[in-house]
Amino acid sequence: MHSQSLQAGQAKEPRGAKKRSQSLSYRVAVFFRFVAAILGGYVFTSVFISLLAVLLPLNKLDSVLLTTTLSVFFYCCVFIWVFAVKSLKVVWITILLTTSLQLFVLALIKGWL
Amino acid sequence: MKENFFRSMTWLHTWVGLLVCWLLFLIFFAGTLSFFKDEISFWAKPEIHQIRHQDHRVASQAKQINDVFADLQQKAPNSLSWRINMPDSRNPVLSYGYAEPKQPGQRRAPFNYTHIDPNTLEPVPEPRDTKGGGFFYRLHFDLHYIDVFTARILVCLASMFMLVALVTGVVIHKRIFKDMFSFRRNKGSRSWLDAHNVSSVLALPFHIMITYTGIITLIFMLFPYPAETVYEEGLSQMFNEALPVNKRAAPTDEHRPMVAINQVLDQIYTKYPNADISHVFVRNANTASSQIVVYLATAKEVVDNGPRYLFNGVTGQIDAQSGEDWSASAQFYDSMTALHSGRLAEPLLRWLYFLCGVAGCAMIATGCMMWAKRLRERMKPEQSAHRGLKLVETLNLATLMGLPFATCAFFIANRLLPIELAARADKEVLAFFLAWLFIAVLALFGRTQSHWRLAAWLNAVACFSIPLINAFTTEGNWISYLLTQQWALFGIDSAFICAGLMFIVQSRKIPSHDNVKEKGNLFKNRQLKEQQG
Repeated sequence: MHSQSLQAGQAKEPRGAKKRSQSLSYRVAVFFRFVAAILGGYVFTSVFISLLAVLLPLNKLDSVLLTTTLSVFFYCCVFIWVFAVKSLKVVWITILLTTSLQLFVLALIKGWL
Repeated sequence: MKENFFRSMTWLHTWVGLLVCWLLFLIFFAGTLSFFKDEISFWAKPEIHQIRHQDHRVASQAKQINDVFADLQQKAPNSLSWRINMPDSRNPVLSYGYAEPKQPGQRRAPFNYTHIDPNTLEPVPEPRDTKGGGFFYRLHFDLHYIDVFTARILVCLASMFMLVALVTGVVIHKRIFKDMFSFRRNKGSRSWLDAHNVSSVLALPFHIMITYTGIITLIFMLFPYPAETVYEEGLSQMFNEALPVNKRAAPTDEHRPMVAINQVLDQIYTKYPNADISHVFVRNANTASSQIVVYLATAKEVVDNGPRYLFNGVTGQIDAQSGEDWSASAQFYDSMTALHSGRLAEPLLRWLYFLCGVAGCAMIATGCMMWAKRLRERMKPEQSAHRGLKLVETLNLATLMGLPFATCAFFIANRLLPIELAARADKEVLAFFLAWLFIAVLALFGRTQSHWRLAAWLNAVACFSIPLINAFTTEGNWISYLLTQQWALFGIDSAFICAGLMFIVQSRKIPSHDNVKEKGNLFKNRQLKEQQG
């Protein structure tokens, strides 16, 4: 399975000039996937666990320790999800929307607005 | 990102793995050695090899602490900090010291340590200047030659990639159980895939645990935000609440005699009749704000922070304590760092940790080898290698063969460098990186099978030379360690002999050059034949 799919990926090596521009846009797309996964995932996780720490019905120390310890799990899930979704647009819109929504709720609770 | 989920995960597994595999190999390699940090540090100081572990270690602690206190009172009654590190089952020496006044321009006050044999309470000769196991411990997450913060961010990112690679690896591995028992020898990249699968699947729970908990050890650097949101004063306020024992009293000039240390110890022994004390720290000795902190060993629980007591240095009352009744969340967090550091492990479990770490190194090594082998096999005979492929092959040889060689150089330098050399500990580290550079230069010149064989031979020679050089430069040797039951020293020498044997096996397994071409082209020959036929 592993080798077959790799082969399929390798077979699309660019040959002509037309394909080269295609490969450039492919590279740009891959780059923005990684940006979405690393940075987008990081910002989403940070806001999500901060909100969770405020909302959890635990004492301060416990909610901080629990959410911080689980952060890696959330980060990992988002990271993989970014690559599982077909459209890069969907990825970015989902991350930006959910993150800003959570940030808004967090700001309301903490009275930052 | 690809046509279907399965393809996307395969793609992701390949690329997150390949992008950071060399850094990950370094992290896993140094981390695996760090499980024997104390043992390596002991090996690196032959001056203290003759000190035997005490028979009644815990029972004699009270008297030792009393004697050390008397000595410190005489040597440095006005120091801002005293530290007593008690011997334990892995380190036989009792060391204690005091902070000297800080000179302008110094970041930390220099510490003046005395090392004594706990059996006789006589000082031992000053051990040679070496970082010992501490070097590999720091290399594991601080790297070297670069800023600590940048290094830790890099290590976190690489670990995150590793975790993603592990999860996607499980996802794309449909026949996880069947593949565990299949190994096809001498089948080119297919064999590398099988080796990759075996080393990953056998120790999979360990790989996932060690990667996850590894990121947790640096988590407050990576995700300080929940603490910053919940606490007004942020992280420091949280740490003070979690570990009130660490709160320092401000130093004053007002002299006040300290309470007799026995009075402090008595309170500990009333609570824990068999208390195993690991450290005693004193802050602001003999002043009105003096503090005494007593650390107890963790008693084999899955926690890194054992019970700690903070005593008022003047009255002898308990001011704060921590580590006794953790909440579920705190225990969850602390058990993660404890699982990662493996300090709880008794010798047998420690070796299991070590072997799983070796399996992790093998998993990473086979992974990055496989990528290059596959491309090579698919290349047409007249095609020349792609730039990326050459880079990967160079890094493979430089890292996989260079790191063990560099490690040997570090151990050899520890024995051969003159004792009185200035900045000796740094020279040992320099030897490590020069040896690594040597293999890297070799890799720049060529990546053929004969280069791999040469590197394997160099590694084998280096591994075997360590027990030999040790026998000639110190009083003990591999046999005498066995007879006197010095297991830490015997274990390290044995490990190098085993590694040397493995490198010999490796060099013999690497096929000669013509043979390789044959095998590499097997696939294409078959295709050609089919076309012709």
